[in-house]
Amino acid sequence: MNYLFHILIIICIYSILALSLNLLVGYTGLLSLCQAAFYGIGAYASVLLMTAAGLSFPLAVLLAMVTTAIISLAISVPSLRLKGDYFVLASLGFQMISFAVLRNWVTVTNGPYGISGIPRPSLLGFEIDGLGSYFIFSGVIALVCALLIYLLTASPFGRVLKAIREDEIATMALGKSTFRFKITAFAIAAAFAAVAGSLFAGYMRFIDPTSFTLTESTFVLTIIIVGGAGNVAGPLLGTVLLIAFPEALRFLPMPDAVAGNVRQIIYGALIVLMLRYRPRGLWGEYEFE
Amino acid sequence: MVIAQILVNGIISGLAYALFALGFGLAYNTTRIFNFAHGAVYTLAAYSFYTSYVTCGWHILPAAVLSLGIAAAAGIAMDEIVYRPLIERNASLLIPLLSSLGLYTVIVNVIAAIYGNENKTLSPGLQPAYTFGPIILTRIQITIAVVFVFLFSTLLLLLKRTNLGKVIRAMRDDPELLSAMGVSQHRVRLIAFGIGSGFSAFAAILLGLDVGIDPNIGMAALLSGAVAVIIGGVGVFEGAALGALTLGILQSLITWRFSSRWTEAIAFVVLIVFLVFRPEGIAGQRRRVDEIAP
Repeated sequence: MNYLFHILIIICIYSILALSLNLLVGYTGLLSLCQAAFYGIGAYASVLLMTAAGLSFPLAVLLAMVTTAIISLAISVPSLRLKGDYFVLASLGFQMISFAVLRNWVTVTNGPYGISGIPRPSLLGFEIDGLGSYFIFSGVIALVCALLIYLLTASPFGRVLKAIREDEIATMALGKSTFRFKITAFAIAAAFAAVAGSLFAGYMRFIDPTSFTLTESTFVLTIIIVGGAGNVAGPLLGTVLLIAFPEALRFLPMPDAVAGNVRQIIYGALIVLMLRYRPRGLWGEYEFE
Repeated sequence: MVIAQILVNGIISGLAYALFALGFGLAYNTTRIFNFAHGAVYTLAAYSFYTSYVTCGWHILPAAVLSLGIAAAAGIAMDEIVYRPLIERNASLLIPLLSSLGLYTVIVNVIAAIYGNENKTLSPGLQPAYTFGPIILTRIQITIAVVFVFLFSTLLLLLKRTNLGKVIRAMRDDPELLSAMGVSQHRVRLIAFGIGSGFSAFAAILLGLDVGIDPNIGMAALLSGAVAVIIGGVGVFEGAALGALTLGILQSLITWRFSSRWTEAIAFVVLIVFLVFRPEGIAGQRRRVDEIAP
């Protein structure tokens, strides 16, 4: 039962991450490779706000969202004027820089040793303890995030994002400052990734930089490629499949390290196969063309 | 006189990056595909060299030739199997980029599953070293410099003096026009991937002999190669060598003055600064931004 709850909690966390990245990849057409950086920055920010500043969990998460959104400007403002693979490269660069900062800024992040003894989140005086209640807690947060993201994409703002994805120049010609819309979408995506990071930190009660690497960014992208982009259903389906399915590997007789490799091989092969044979993903609205 | 040694070390590691960057740049400039799997070819070359040279005890030359062949074949097979169908259905170039990220993951994890994640040494013991005035060079450092000079001049001759080079440069400048002239783009792509992958095998073997190998070396090589190509100048084949030298010297100075922990981060800061303020790189011609990025 505990094992099931564990998987469900991870699914909740990653569905928030996938939905946030989908705002960029699926709605705005921006291929970003740094979502794990915002996930990590959000996790560290909320943990530090709770432990060093003594804030409560909800307040810490809100401030972490704001912090992460502001930090996202540092990369979005210079790089969103770039096109095609140059933007992808810039986001990749930001991912590598963030990882180096998390690992090397030892006085704040404790470097490669990570931060342990993270307090469980508490709401209105109740500490969320036990896997069952943490699942309900993260499930509710994931639902709220999914709802907010859905409302956002169904709004006029979301329609402008889709217009940018389809034809940026035509959108400019309609008098929209596409640059401003893209920056806003980037900041919102970063803020939601920070929620996922905070949930992850509260659940694991230990964070270190290795959870927020390029591999992680690629994984979130794989979820979207497999599930589908440009709607809410695709990323959710992708999350459930990509997290639940490789768990079956646990029951095969092989050493842990090799099982990790096999899982990565499956993810990599899925990217190649989906883009080749089903570029709109299993349940997506937007085709990777 | 420490500074002389620091600079020479920087130049030599820059030359080693340049071997990879020239190959990556050749493939990138010709095909316009940002190929993450080029990094996987690097890892593959290193491990095939390890298998024949260390495990099976072959002589260094046949081992190197085998590894070169495997790398070139892998580069060609990738295009034939994975990228060609995407390009033929007119997908945007970001689709092969994404695909190559998946391909990279597959190849590197297959290697890691077989050989394990730990670092492996290719040459046991200390390298013999030679003293030139205030500067000390190891044998492998000298080899890197010699191989670089040889391969760089070969590449320049190929590009500037042969028909094949003319076709490659034509493809870089205008692929559509090349098709109109009756030359198959697909064949030129295969050649570019083949030669590019061969260069990465040279880099993998030489750097592997110097500092050892592990499955993640490919990503590190790819990233510094990509940074070198961008800061050197996209669209200029020689630019990659200039960018790699700049990067090598910069990293060596940073390691000396600050700490080696920040070298990678600073390389990417430099990359972003270039992308934003001078996307055509050091050697490139000033062009409109939308001309550079497709």
